[in-house]
Amino acid sequence: MNKVVKEHNSLNMNNGRKASKDTFLPVFSRTVDGTLRVVVLALILLFILFPMVCIALRSFAGPEGPTLGNYAEVFTKYRQNFVNSIVVGVATAILCTFFSVCTALFIYTKTGKLRLALMAVLLVSMVAPPFVSSLAYIQLYGRRGWITYRLLGLSLNPYNALGVICMQSISFAPMNALFLIGILSKTDSASLRAARDLGADPAHVLRDMLIPLIRPGIYVSLLLSFVRSLADFGTPVIIGGRFSTIASEIYLKIIGYADLEDASAMNMFLLLPSIGFFFLYRHLMTKTGGTADAQRGGQEGFDLKLLRCGGTGIAVSGAALLFFVMMILQYGCIFVSGFLKRKAGSYVFTTEFLQELFRYDLSTMVRSVVYALIVGFVGTFFAILFSYYTEWRKMRGRSFFDCLVTLPYMLPGTCFGIGYILAFNKEPLALMGTGIIVIANMIFKQLPTSTKLCTAALSQIPRAQEYAVRDLGGGRLSVLKDVILPGLRPAFFSSFSYNFSTAMTTAGAVIFLINPGKKLAVFKLFDAVSSGEYAIASLISTLIIIIVLVVEGIIYMFSMKGVKTNVS
Amino acid sequence: MKKKFLTGLAVACAAAMMAGCGSGETAETTTAAATTAAAAEASESEETEASESQEAAEAPELSGTMKVVATSEDYVTLFDKFTEETGVKVELLSMSSGEVLSKLRAEGGTPSADLWFGGGIDAFMSAKEDGLLEQVNFDAASELADTYKDSEGYWYSKGITIVGFLVNQALTEELGVEVPQSWTDLLNEGYKGEIIMSNPAVSGTNYAVVNALLQTMGEEEGWNYFQKLNDNIAYYGKRGSDPLNKVVSDEFAIGISYIDRGVEATIDGSDIAIVYPTDGIPWVPEGVAVFKNAENVDAAKYFVEWLFSNDDNLRMLAEIDKKDGLKLVKPSIEGIELGYDPAILMEEDLSLFGSERDEVLAQFEDLMGDKAADE
Repeated sequence: MNKVVKEHNSLNMNNGRKASKDTFLPVFSRTVDGTLRVVVLALILLFILFPMVCIALRSFAGPEGPTLGNYAEVFTKYRQNFVNSIVVGVATAILCTFFSVCTALFIYTKTGKLRLALMAVLLVSMVAPPFVSSLAYIQLYGRRGWITYRLLGLSLNPYNALGVICMQSISFAPMNALFLIGILSKTDSASLRAARDLGADPAHVLRDMLIPLIRPGIYVSLLLSFVRSLADFGTPVIIGGRFSTIASEIYLKIIGYADLEDASAMNMFLLLPSIGFFFLYRHLMTKTGGTADAQRGGQEGFDLKLLRCGGTGIAVSGAALLFFVMMILQYGCIFVSGFLKRKAGSYVFTTEFLQELFRYDLSTMVRSVVYALIVGFVGTFFAILFSYYTEWRKMRGRSFFDCLVTLPYMLPGTCFGIGYILAFNKEPLALMGTGIIVIANMIFKQLPTSTKLCTAALSQIPRAQEYAVRDLGGGRLSVLKDVILPGLRPAFFSSFSYNFSTAMTTAGAVIFLINPGKKLAVFKLFDAVSSGEYAIASLISTLIIIIVLVVEGIIYMFSMKGVKTNVS
Repeated sequence: MKKKFLTGLAVACAAAMMAGCGSGETAETTTAAATTAAAAEASESEETEASESQEAAEAPELSGTMKVVATSEDYVTLFDKFTEETGVKVELLSMSSGEVLSKLRAEGGTPSADLWFGGGIDAFMSAKEDGLLEQVNFDAASELADTYKDSEGYWYSKGITIVGFLVNQALTEELGVEVPQSWTDLLNEGYKGEIIMSNPAVSGTNYAVVNALLQTMGEEEGWNYFQKLNDNIAYYGKRGSDPLNKVVSDEFAIGISYIDRGVEATIDGSDIAIVYPTDGIPWVPEGVAVFKNAENVDAAKYFVEWLFSNDDNLRMLAEIDKKDGLKLVKPSIEGIELGYDPAILMEEDLSLFGSERDEVLAQFEDLMGDKAADE
């Protein structure tokens, strides 16, 4: 690789018309390039490794100096929770990936307005306001749920392991499905059409072509949902009942006992299976040769009649429809709750709460949007740079950094927040109370997902494009600007949407980092939920969802502008 | 070349991190000592300035912003009044007392807030034990009942929270059971799987239930009681508002919950009844304290004095809280009348709340047996 670069540079020197400009530019380009790389890596060490090291050190802290006692205690006491976590993680990974694959295939094989409508539902369901989503879930499927009890006459108890698995699966699925659609839309739909023209029946196209094509995506989905399930404390806290996982026990340790030492030790414990799974996943990825080949496929989807695809097709359609119905119900439930008032066992329509909402101090909403925009842009560019250096340039030590970047995903949000307090509470890094620490926390907490999105997209840019730019005399910066960035446009959109919507709704980590003067909208939501004002909470959530959709729409228009003309 | 540079960078960073995490202890303690000394001086001068009568005390020279962690945002008007009279800006953030305590411990002596306003007293006791609170003394403190303040002035009470049952009458009717009237009633087999309470580790009020009943019934009988109650409890919520929320949304028939007028407002118009158990109401003071080493410790200390020295302020607080327990905290106050006979409150030795907490919670954890994978 280096040799090629040198050749390019010397060629460039010889052919250049103005020697001075041409010697300056590559030097400049290399300096900027080198600085950028150091900055990216240094920030990762600072905002991911440093807080993690602080948590690790805390796990060894005892009343009389360093000790392994915390581990001994945690290990004997929480073995069962550990098993619970693994069981739920595996079940959620499988169920969630099943739903995601079905949903992705379903959307991919639809065209026109129907496809747009389905995409819209998926985008809405990407925005998950904390607590309110789970309240809606309970309202629909709880012991007295509108669906389970009132409609179907069942009296199911969702407060157990099964409830946790189901709720995690449906709440993780939209993100995974979006990711899989991204991979699907990059596959070469021409070869699918060719297969159809040559007489392959739809069932075979589905089973023998489409599903194998997205196998790497399926691995990613399995990994992401497994690790996310391990780290998710919100769901088991809300719906677990007497069932508890390591993550929910960590939450309890922090909230109930303020026992940071045990909580830290439990975190370290939780990282073991996550890191193990991470390396297994990398192994699988290298074996299958990464994502689909570098050919650019059509963006428009592929018209395939799923119902004519035999058993598999029917199963895919059925699961996807179930998923969409559940999503529509859940979000419908959130919207509607803002306008309903309970009156002696039944509900009446009212706009009373809407009027109350307008009296609310909405300055927090403005701050949330500003923070989320910063997180959206900075986080996405950061992810692009990181995946450029690790995946495209095959930087040395990349597996170390790749693993490092995945760590925040493996920790319960509360702990990542505590880690930030431990790390940034003292000089020379006294960032507590500033907006920077909140924004940094969001960016780095979400970096695992945004880098995965960018890396997947990068692997689909043809290398030849870089060589072309280099041959024409462009430096590394030009490659970044003219090949990588344009090639990542779709990934830019999905990464931005993810960063933005998550920043608007995240609560677990930032609760510990927020300064009283710098509140975010989710805190208003918190207040409303904890004082039992469901209707207000629903309205704030609705407002957040609308804002996210509007901003995403604008970004989508900008990021897609010129895609068709720009790319061959 | 590059590789060397990178490893060098990584090693350097790691070393810096170790230093950053581990050090600071010594530096911290010296600054802590300095601040305490300064604060002690400040409080002396305040004491001399404070007027003896109930009239508004002369405000000392205060400035800047006071950062408050409170249980709710409803106190804005009270703090607005404080701002008006002293010029100190107030920023409010609502956090549960468990979150506050964890944050305090993680911050290791450099708290990001100044005043702690509201929350179960057990958390305040733990914080005092850990040396995270600042001592506040003022003249009017002598008028506050001893039960509701720390003897050394580390925390005060801004009111008390009482505990009762929330009963979803539509559900009890459907189940064909009576509305429970007492703690003993809750053991009725008909309520199996229909009672919800919060994990006492996360809920100050539900911790009060456990500790108060243990004190009232005696250790042995008390634990016996909770063992039997455990069979009827669906699960122990991990958030303080779970019992209220779950009973309101028809999920469970009976919730053991804090009762205040906020709860009354929430259940207004529904068929949920509030029951004050006839065999005694557990209660817990809501703390007020100043964080040691806080940035604006003077303003926070003055706020405590300002609040308790002027009855107008207390009446305003009672109005916001929609509670009358302040009458117990400061018996001399006029204009607040208890809506209930204090005799129905359980007799509690609050000093045991703090000292027994770890032990009681550990035993309760065993009793709950929440570890089971199946359920």
